[in-house]
Amino acid sequence: MVRDKLLSIFTLILLIALSPLVASENPIVEMNLLPTLTYKANSDAWDTFFNWDLSLSLSSNREKNVRGEVVLKANSFTPITKLDDVLYKAYFKARFPSFRLTAGKNRLSWGDGMLFNAADVLYGSNDTSVSLTQSELRGNTDWLVSVNYPLGFFSFAEVVLMPPQSNKMSDTFFGARYYTLIKDVKIEGGYATVERLHKPYLSLQGNLGFDWYLSTSIALPTTGNSWVISAGVFHLVKLASERSLTLRLEFLNRPLGSWEAGRIDDSNVALLLYPELVFAYSPFLSFTLRSIISPLDLSAMSTFGINWNAFDAFNLIANISLATGEDDDLFSWRSSEIGAPPSFSVTIGSSWIF
Amino acid sequence: MYKKLPFLSMLLLLLPSLLFALTADEIIGEMDRLSTFETTYLTGSIQTTDRFGTKTSRFNSWSQGKKDSLIEFTSAAERGQKILRTEGSLYLFYPDAEQLIRMQGAALRQSMLGSDISYEDMTEEKTTLDNYEAKLEGEESFKNRDCYVLLLTAKSRSVAYPIQKIWVDKQTFLVWKAEYSTKQGRLLKEMEVLETFNVEDRVLPKQSKIEDKMKKNSFTLMTIDSFEANPQLDKRIFTLENLTW
Repeated sequence: MVRDKLLSIFTLILLIALSPLVASENPIVEMNLLPTLTYKANSDAWDTFFNWDLSLSLSSNREKNVRGEVVLKANSFTPITKLDDVLYKAYFKARFPSFRLTAGKNRLSWGDGMLFNAADVLYGSNDTSVSLTQSELRGNTDWLVSVNYPLGFFSFAEVVLMPPQSNKMSDTFFGARYYTLIKDVKIEGGYATVERLHKPYLSLQGNLGFDWYLSTSIALPTTGNSWVISAGVFHLVKLASERSLTLRLEFLNRPLGSWEAGRIDDSNVALLLYPELVFAYSPFLSFTLRSIISPLDLSAMSTFGINWNAFDAFNLIANISLATGEDDDLFSWRSSEIGAPPSFSVTIGSSWIF
Repeated sequence: MYKKLPFLSMLLLLLPSLLFALTADEIIGEMDRLSTFETTYLTGSIQTTDRFGTKTSRFNSWSQGKKDSLIEFTSAAERGQKILRTEGSLYLFYPDAEQLIRMQGAALRQSMLGSDISYEDMTEEKTTLDNYEAKLEGEESFKNRDCYVLLLTAKSRSVAYPIQKIWVDKQTFLVWKAEYSTKQGRLLKEMEVLETFNVEDRVLPKQSKIEDKMKKNSFTLMTIDSFEANPQLDKRIFTLENLTW
């Protein structure tokens, strides 16, 4: 409660502070309107929704030594009960001669990975509860204070502090990382205390004809399945007439997780795969196939999408999503779980940024 | 004796041009020299068009010699996205995700914002003569300008276009036109300068059109709106710290 009040006061101060600066930069609005048809095989029910999400971004000039941004976001899924629900970002950054300070609600991206990233010890990128129709699969933000200290051209150290969700000081999140290049490999190592767990991690990224990335982390004291390894490869094939095919394959492994097939908790699954195929027929027209596969029970959640960038920042979008698997599988056509994605859905809509 | 006079007078007339005729390598060297500044700051746009649509991306760009450059996109859809090239590496910064990405290998072949320019094109640090063997094919008039016509043949397979034919202005060394082809001579792209501007006694392209010859109605327009030669740049401009700012 106290935290919410403090955060509201902080946001109002930031909004007031940014208001004269906003005049010099255009606010940016992103609007997604996505009518959706769904089918749940378990109840044999068809349904229609008008899904929407809207964001408004106000940012200051970037050329000074202090800058800030406020992003308000709302969508048809999330009920708004407090200011924090719509406040996606509200932060300032201050550039001092030898370090940089960031304070407010923002995101920090640690490690590499489109869907699975064991090095994302602050927010966690190891679960399957994402929408494959989104261009950005992970986008959590939180209140934080961070200090970034450059150590040469390609290296830096970063320290972050996140206020606790509860009123207990012992639940404060703390993290630090070091980012550098050795030969041609990016090496990132760090540590975070999250909910009284100690989480060290290591993340590597390089190129062997194809791009690769590998991360690992563990939560101590360990609960067995907290040791996570994620890895990915990425390759782009140039086709005739400036067309291209991009291939990405990521996996998530919990060596001490459950190797059994069937309905198990998302946070205990031993192995998951994420293949992604994007065929760009033109700079304006692309076809995407994404899937989260549980190889142990051969179930999957897949999405096929078409994106037509018809005009400047205006896109027409169509997606078909499908869950395939038996009743007891991780992904199931006839899933009866509350909050489980529908067995089948079709979305046709548009996205506009202005 | 009198029969030889026309020949001798012709020789005398041609002598200066024979003595001062430039070789293909000298033309390319001068062309590269005049298109490179110690530092630059420019604003501009990339407009990409094909039969599925048209889009325009606006950007600010800073550069230092041939090795360091920073591009920041300012149009709504990409605002704040940045590309840094320094010390032979290319980095991307996505402000929405606060994500820093190092581009390597195949990822460099991706087209920049769907244009006819790839990230790989941006990482080019070598001079034209490092990559190509040049041969002077002759002289032609293009847009009422006397031009050298040169044929460039790639020295290795690492370049995007094995064959280039370029029309270089004899006076300003501006490349007015270029044809990019496969090794077998199949025309892939064509570049033409539509407008020019002058800076420090040099002529630079203000607007260029790059046409994809493999697709109907597909082209990119590169426009420079403002240009500053040799401005004083902040020392930390080409660092990761500034990229993620």
